Amino acid sequence: MAGLELLSDQGYRLDGRKATELRKVQARMGVFAQADGSAYLEQGNTKALAVVYGPHEMRGSRSRTLHDRAVINCQYSMATFSTAERKRRPHGDRKSTEMSLHLKQTFEAAVMTQLYPRSQIDIYVKILQSDGGNYSVCVNAATLAVIDAGIPMRDYVCACTVGFVDETPLADLCYAEESGGVSSLALALLPRGGQIALLQMDARLHQDHLETLIEAAMTACKGVSKVLDDVVRQHLQEVSMLTGE
Amino acid sequence: MIKTERILHLKSSRGRKVRVVREHYLRERVPCYSGVCQADCENDGKVLSGDLTHYMVPDAGVVVDYLEILEFRELQGIVFTQTACQAVQHSKGRRQYNRLRNLLKDPRHDCVLFANEFQEYSYCPREKGESQEKWQTRSECVYNAAVWYYNHLAGMMDIVMITEDQEAVAQYSSLNSGVYVISVQDYFQNFWPDLQAAHELYTSISQSLQEKESEGKEREYGEHLPAEVLEAGIKSGRYFQGTLNVSKHRAQTEAYIMMESFSNKSTDMTSILVHGEKNRNRAVHGDVVVAELLPKSEWRGKVTALMEGQGEVKSGEDKLLPTGCIVGIQQRNWRDYVVTFPLRDGTQSQSRNSQRILAVPWDHRIPKIRISTQQADTLQDHRVVVRIDSWESTSLYPNGHSVRVLGRAGELETEVQTILIENCIHVPVFSDAQLREMPVISPEKPWEVDPVEVTKRRDLRQSHLVFSIDPKGCEDVDDTLSVRSLAGGDLVELGVHIADVTHFVTEGSLTDLEARTRATTYYLADRRYDMLPAVLSADLCSLLGGVDRYAMSVLWELNTHTLAVNKVWYGRTVIRSSFQLQYELAQALLNGEQTEVPELAQLGSEERSVKLAQLIQALEMLTRVARHLRAQRDRGGALELEGVEVRAQLDEERNITALVPRQPLEVHETVAECMIYANHWVAHKIQKTFPHQSLLRRHPPPRQEFFSQLVETAQAKGFTINTETNKALADSLDRAVDPEDPLVNRLLRMMTTQAMSQALYFSTGAQSPDPFYHYGLALDKYTHFTSPIRRYADIVVHRLLTAAIATETGAGAGKAPASNKELEEIAHHINSRNRAAKRAQKLSTELFQCLYFKDRDAQKDPCCVANAIIYTVRDDGVLAFVPEYGVKAPVYIKNREGQVLVAAQDGSCEWQSGSVRRYADRITTTSGCGTSTFRLFDHITVRISVQSFRCHASRLNLELISNMPCHSTKPQEQHSQGRVQLVQEVVRLAEEAYQQAQEEARRRSKFCKEEREFCQTKTPNLYTLLEEVRELALRDLEPAPQVCATTA
Repeated sequence: MAGLELLSDQGYRLDGRKATELRKVQARMGVFAQADGSAYLEQGNTKALAVVYGPHEMRGSRSRTLHDRAVINCQYSMATFSTAERKRRPHGDRKSTEMSLHLKQTFEAAVMTQLYPRSQIDIYVKILQSDGGNYSVCVNAATLAVIDAGIPMRDYVCACTVGFVDETPLADLCYAEESGGVSSLALALLPRGGQIALLQMDARLHQDHLETLIEAAMTACKGVSKVLDDVVRQHLQEVSMLTGE
Repeated sequence: MIKTERILHLKSSRGRKVRVVREHYLRERVPCYSGVCQADCENDGKVLSGDLTHYMVPDAGVVVDYLEILEFRELQGIVFTQTACQAVQHSKGRRQYNRLRNLLKDPRHDCVLFANEFQEYSYCPREKGESQEKWQTRSECVYNAAVWYYNHLAGMMDIVMITEDQEAVAQYSSLNSGVYVISVQDYFQNFWPDLQAAHELYTSISQSLQEKESEGKEREYGEHLPAEVLEAGIKSGRYFQGTLNVSKHRAQTEAYIMMESFSNKSTDMTSILVHGEKNRNRAVHGDVVVAELLPKSEWRGKVTALMEGQGEVKSGEDKLLPTGCIVGIQQRNWRDYVVTFPLRDGTQSQSRNSQRILAVPWDHRIPKIRISTQQADTLQDHRVVVRIDSWESTSLYPNGHSVRVLGRAGELETEVQTILIENCIHVPVFSDAQLREMPVISPEKPWEVDPVEVTKRRDLRQSHLVFSIDPKGCEDVDDTLSVRSLAGGDLVELGVHIADVTHFVTEGSLTDLEARTRATTYYLADRRYDMLPAVLSADLCSLLGGVDRYAMSVLWELNTHTLAVNKVWYGRTVIRSSFQLQYELAQALLNGEQTEVPELAQLGSEERSVKLAQLIQALEMLTRVARHLRAQRDRGGALELEGVEVRAQLDEERNITALVPRQPLEVHETVAECMIYANHWVAHKIQKTFPHQSLLRRHPPPRQEFFSQLVETAQAKGFTINTETNKALADSLDRAVDPEDPLVNRLLRMMTTQAMSQALYFSTGAQSPDPFYHYGLALDKYTHFTSPIRRYADIVVHRLLTAAIATETGAGAGKAPASNKELEEIAHHINSRNRAAKRAQKLSTELFQCLYFKDRDAQKDPCCVANAIIYTVRDDGVLAFVPEYGVKAPVYIKNREGQVLVAAQDGSCEWQSGSVRRYADRITTTSGCGTSTFRLFDHITVRISVQSFRCHASRLNLELISNMPCHSTKPQEQHSQGRVQLVQEVVRLAEEAYQQAQEEARRRSKFCKEEREFCQTKTPNLYTLLEEVRELALRDLEPAPQVCATTA
């Protein structure tokens, strides 16, 4: 697939977006009644389900208990039907473990864990359909789920991937772009303060371009946060309407 | 953010059929790039002009098959749809798609891309079960786009959609949507009845398309392997990738694959032999191919015989070359080819009904091309430009179509055009739009310097005595010099002032684009194709005497005694050249001879002598400085490649035409030295400011193996040539002088020049600093700065220098005008164009040599008998050089019947049956009458005749008539004369020849006019040209003894 033209001379990407445009984001909160918090989020064709349990007391080995704050436990998995070719192992492989770790780090930075000492918060994320930007979709879905669970956070955590093609940063890569040999960068941001919760890049990039790339990623994340904010407000309206009656 | 998500795409990847879903976003506002847009589209960049009668929208099928026609610059207002572009990408591959992209980017073509698939209302989704190709070629997609376009422009512009699909024409023309749907043929007949070339191209393409459908099934060649297999094979070292280079002399059987990258160090092969057509497997000269090695038992040796048909391989085991067969082709490098249609005879008449013809390309290395045409009879003796379309494994020959007719074979104009096309030189007349960018000048309102501009520049008009030294009749004076004393004589200020072309040619303008495409001025034997329009090259940028001109200057302050550089100043200036001298005149002034300077003719005698004294003083000072610079370069870089390198360099510096090597007066060297100095310092400056983004020129040291022939040849004469460093080489060349035969040294120097690698432009970011070195000039950094009128590289360097100066003064942002990547691309382009220019020049010289001998009877005319010298020995003949005409050609000692040449007592040779033996330095023939030996550097007498071919370029044929030199040649006598006399003789001869040439040129132009008016024959015109060639060839001989004398 090396011959794909990721950015046309007219400035269009493969799917008709311009360089800075995000994919369409749709989300719903409170999709499950059993869990403490849950959310479903679509970003283009990448679809993720996030479920949050807790805070509750430590389960399993008590030795991991922290005395000043809560432990965040994350699990990332991909549905076997999420990719074009059926996936053998939904979770537990190296990639998923790494992703779980990244999610954990992200949310440890965002959730106000010191409010719940000696307890545990479980975040389970499942990718139902994968079309690029899995990490960022998971973070966004999990944010909504945590909010749904009523766990206090410093800010929304919004994540977005950006790639670098022909000296132009492309926001929110889809699968075709990710696999087309673009050096991409994933960034999780607390938009109000502009703090970076996680920054991940494992491709080669010239140092001079890093700044522009991060800049573009932050703008994209702020765009995502606006959408998430809308979703949360709308959800609250619906809920308050229901409870109000 | 307005976004809608719509569509699912089906796609298979990596062999397995996989269903992939892709998003597709549509939007309401897609820029239309039209000049008459009413809806405020964001049309940045290229916009279709609004004053046309209609816009044309070709459908996908038309764009795929007939893109060539759409490339005509006359066609305006073309709207390419995205659907069509993608169809090209899918069905024709990247090369064709890039061509389309360049077309869209090029501001000289009036065409735009409309992204119809991203427009909400013009998008038409793929239906279930419909294949990708079908969907793309479905005319509905493009039709919808055309309708939207029409409505978007509110009906202000008629839209014509052209298609080859007759159903679509029938279906849509009845709908009343404002869009006309017609077929391609109708379109060209109705809208462009005058564009004959397009009509012809259309018929030729459509015919070849029809033929393609009725292809046979028989397999002639092996199938090519798929790209993934090739890639994997190359990585594992099983296959080898390289460029196919077909042998010129044995095009049928021999080809070599030149490996560009030494990816696997274990095998130190540089080339692979490909023997025979089957092994070559449809690859054409120049393609990037992938080959597999054959088992060692099938390896073959190189054929060293001169004649075809004698290719028995006699060489031993050690001479076997790695031999392989081609398994795949990475990239086709097909260009336009010139072909000649074969004569109609019995064998062709069978295929008359299919109208297919095997045309023979002009270039030997290209296989015959099958063309379908109805004009075969009328175009029998014509040269025609064709393009190759495809080469299926079922076909013995590639299929092609004709593009245009050049003219009758053998005519001068046709042959010159052939040379241009075969070297991919495209030099159309400058268009109106380009000329409109030029300042208007007329006799009533001559161009003047702008006073505002003058304030920004340093004014040297009053303070400096500026003069130029050029050959006679030079129009484009791009360099001038100045020299003066400063600070009471302690300092000398040397100045080199170069025409400021970049002031007139702004980056990105149409003129700039055209100049970049041409990259250089092309000099052919009888004409030249300018890089810049004549307004600039001959007037505004030409630093003529007595008028104000903008210049780019480099001024050095040198210490008068030590001549060490004190200070250097670079910058833009205004100058007025006081003297426009010629070389001969300048030399005469230096020698203290009484001559008339035309600029001083009107002045009073007193004033005249004052001015004259000033000028002479300046010239003397200049000569002193130049001598010092030269000596400095000799000491520091240790180089004395005189005769070869410096003369070649002189040529490069200031050549007017290569047919006229200048007489080596000292003033030549003086000017050249100043130019080299300026180039060197500018190279320093730009490289210092932009270490990674400057354009320099390097001359890599030659590969030692290329010298082997030179060393062996020299050994035959008892000379040893040391090739370790440039200094050693130069010294040993100086020593290799045969006092009895000055030609030996000249031949050796010629062979040295051949062994040299070519100097190249490059971007500094792409190389490590070591190879910046210029071998020939022995300078660590070098660039081209002094001839911006005829070289694009100099324009780039001028821009770099301007940016560097701006950085220094703090005015600019300190950013390089072009990135390393862009520069590297430019450098690559210029290098390839320079090679093409050189080749074209060489070919045209050969053409003229052939034309010269063509009309002469080889048996009677004394001109056809000439003295020659043997410089290489082959299996069945020798290679000889004819100094009188500068011709190099093979001389056969053994002919096709197996007879050999044996010399009689008096030296005359005749054919007898016998045998030939070849040794390292000689070749002997034995027959019943005795033995004769031909040694290296033997003087022989040859008869020159022309061997003409119908389809290829004619060739000069040398026939050995005696193994003694013929004694009547003029140059031989001259060699014995004293040096001073010789110089005078040479100058006189050159003058005469030049005047004669001038006169003839004048006569010629008159003839041309008459010819146009009265349709006269071309013969007298041609004759004068050829006479001129002869004169020039005569003069070519003179420098040799002189060079020897000066170095001795």
